[in-house]
Amino acid sequence: MVTESPRATTASADELLAHTGTLRADADLMDGYARQLLATAATLSGCPAAPGWSRPALEQQAAACTTAAEQLRTAAEALETHTRAGDWD
Amino acid sequence: MRADGHAPGRPTPDGQDAGELLRRCARDVVDVAEGIRAVSARTGTALSAPPLTASARRRPRTGLAAQWALLRALTNKQGLGGSAITEPKGVGQVLGAARAVLGRESLAALVAVTSLRLRIAAVLVDHPEFGRDPGMRRLMAAVTADRDLEAVRALRALFRDRGAQRALCGLGPLMAELVAVRALLDEDPKRDAARWALAAGREPSAGPPHDPPKETDQGQGAAEAVDLTDQERQFIATEGSFLGFLRNIEVLSSGGRILVQNVRGPDGVVRYVVQVPGMAPGRPRSDAPQDFVRAWHNLFMTDSPHTRSVLLALADYGIPRGADLALIGHGEGGLALMNLARDEEFCRTYRVTHVVAVGSPVDNKKPADPRTWVAAVTNQHDIMAVLDGRDAGSAFDPHPHWHAVDYTGPTRVFPLCHMLREYIEHLRTVIPVAREGVDAALTPYRGPIVRTQAYQLKDRARPPEGYPFLTLPTSSIPTTAGPVDVPVRYYDSSAAHLCFPVPADAARRLLPGVTRPTPSRLGRRALAVLSLYEHRCSTIGPYTEIALSVLVDDLWRPRPYDIATDLLRRADLRRTGRYVLSLAVTSDEARVVAREIWGQPAMRTTAEADLMGREIGVRSGDLGLTVEGRLGPGVRCPEADWTLYGRRADSTVRTLVRAHGRLRLHPGTGVRLRLDTAAAEPLAGQLRRLGIDRARPLLVLACPQFMLHRSAGAVLPR
Repeated sequence: MVTESPRATTASADELLAHTGTLRADADLMDGYARQLLATAATLSGCPAAPGWSRPALEQQAAACTTAAEQLRTAAEALETHTRAGDWD
Repeated sequence: MRADGHAPGRPTPDGQDAGELLRRCARDVVDVAEGIRAVSARTGTALSAPPLTASARRRPRTGLAAQWALLRALTNKQGLGGSAITEPKGVGQVLGAARAVLGRESLAALVAVTSLRLRIAAVLVDHPEFGRDPGMRRLMAAVTADRDLEAVRALRALFRDRGAQRALCGLGPLMAELVAVRALLDEDPKRDAARWALAAGREPSAGPPHDPPKETDQGQGAAEAVDLTDQERQFIATEGSFLGFLRNIEVLSSGGRILVQNVRGPDGVVRYVVQVPGMAPGRPRSDAPQDFVRAWHNLFMTDSPHTRSVLLALADYGIPRGADLALIGHGEGGLALMNLARDEEFCRTYRVTHVVAVGSPVDNKKPADPRTWVAAVTNQHDIMAVLDGRDAGSAFDPHPHWHAVDYTGPTRVFPLCHMLREYIEHLRTVIPVAREGVDAALTPYRGPIVRTQAYQLKDRARPPEGYPFLTLPTSSIPTTAGPVDVPVRYYDSSAAHLCFPVPADAARRLLPGVTRPTPSRLGRRALAVLSLYEHRCSTIGPYTEIALSVLVDDLWRPRPYDIATDLLRRADLRRTGRYVLSLAVTSDEARVVAREIWGQPAMRTTAEADLMGREIGVRSGDLGLTVEGRLGPGVRCPEADWTLYGRRADSTVRTLVRAHGRLRLHPGTGVRLRLDTAAAEPLAGQLRRLGIDRARPLLVLACPQFMLHRSAGAVLPR
């Protein structure tokens, strides 16, 4: 019979918590990307040579970034709940 | 400060600001795409983390909830969009397959394609003529779809299309974005990572030269000593000078050859000069890259087939170790030589004293030997010379100690502004001071040439371009435009032949001579053919061709319905053919070849042709001629081999044309010819006399992409 050692399970919990932190940081990054895309769309709106599709496309992609940020936070929350609920020792 | 007195980065009054703004936005957006891709990769890693998989089995209530939340974040169409690029196996692979089934594209890919579209818009602001480039046209057709998703799919299909690779290779100004976007559209995560590292034009030169990407090109270089033709020898400089070396390169500009010369310097020491041309747009390449990404990678590797071939040529030439070497190149040739100068082993073998690159993207390169003197000559309008992401007008000057001749030349139009002939003219007339500076630096190489040897570079691992159809014995024929190899070979062409029934008497009156040739008759009608060609790559360069011809019978024994029986014969055995009444071409070289080799009454004109799709269009403002319309359903036809007849003095000239492609026969109802000129010039007058100046053709024979070769004209006895 194979059993996990306490040291290994603690390491696993730490790894999952690290992923949680990364997911939260990535959510912030995605929010930043959304702002960046909106800023680019605003910049292009003042440029007569900018293609007409550029602004709506960038705004749509910014919205997708915001949605992705929310979903990453939700995933981080769920992963943290799972990690903390576990009997790792 | 540039050689012409302009400070880099200063906005010019001709609207470059808009282009720069679009480029900056494109860079910002591709940075975001790169960031999103990294977020997707990390989310995928979290989803497939072994501790999560193991613990979810033990505690499914919270474990499955966490996995579901991660899966949703990774694949939701409204968010990251189903990117599963991090894991080659397991969950990632399943997700990748699911994405393909569901037809989803990742958010990173969509954003990267937006960046590419902005970059295309930027290029077209500065260089609207680049929109006529075959590769650009195909790219625009792919990415200008109404919806992002369709654009991504069309682009993915374009990247898989082997026939499009040649055209894409010519898109130097967009290559960084193309590589970046293809990296994001690639399903193979390992290759994806390697390509992303080289993407966006920022990284290719970051690594050491002996650290090639994982996809090392396994092609074997080869170099064979070849003789120059007598006519070429007349143009090879006998004294070492900057312009002399560049003119040598100009002589070698076709056929993948390089030149190595010994020069006895003013101090009596014999030194060596290596001269390498770039790839001329619209002419066949000797290295025939498998795809544009590989061609791009090769530009940044010392260990590419091209640089290996140059090394083999130098070894064959017998340059002693430690000898002084000057490396002079144009375009990709300059870049290949700079890569050699970056190679420490090469610099230990020879003393590379000078590198001179004209119209080459060498900004981010640094020779291994710090004593090497480097000169880079760049016309700011030459978009092929700013591949490394340093756009024209950028204030960034990576090598303040280089002799950087960065000027705004009078030639704006691409590809003219990239051609070596233009650079030579500018160095002579626009920036003579810069030329004198380079000449002064090259003083040790300014003496009599004591030996000259040309080498043909080859890549043994790949067949030559156009193989086997265009692998033919050739011979050189002198013309007033220089020597021309025959058969003339066309590697990438489109054509539409509009067939009009015309009165036989009207056709006969347009033919020379009283007795022959006579028009082939179909009842009381003869058949006139207006042939429209777009030659994107040929041994005489790219050009558009508009030819009006009439089908004619056997010159010696004309019989009714000759044409019908002849169609069953091999092309070289046919006695009937098409007599060319008039021909309009868009390049001088093509005009000279048509006149002097094929005996056809060619004139120079301007014309734009798009014959690659169902919608065809050819417009020539000079001729007042427009052909446009949509091809209806068609049926497959045998290869369109023809015999063409021309006239030289009183003799008839016979030219054999062999073609290889997918020819289709369409009804002519959707296509219309329109003549909007009152001129009585040859083509317009002939169309009117045939009564087809505003007519729809009976039939259209069309071929969107094919290869052909045209033999030298054989003069028939009178």
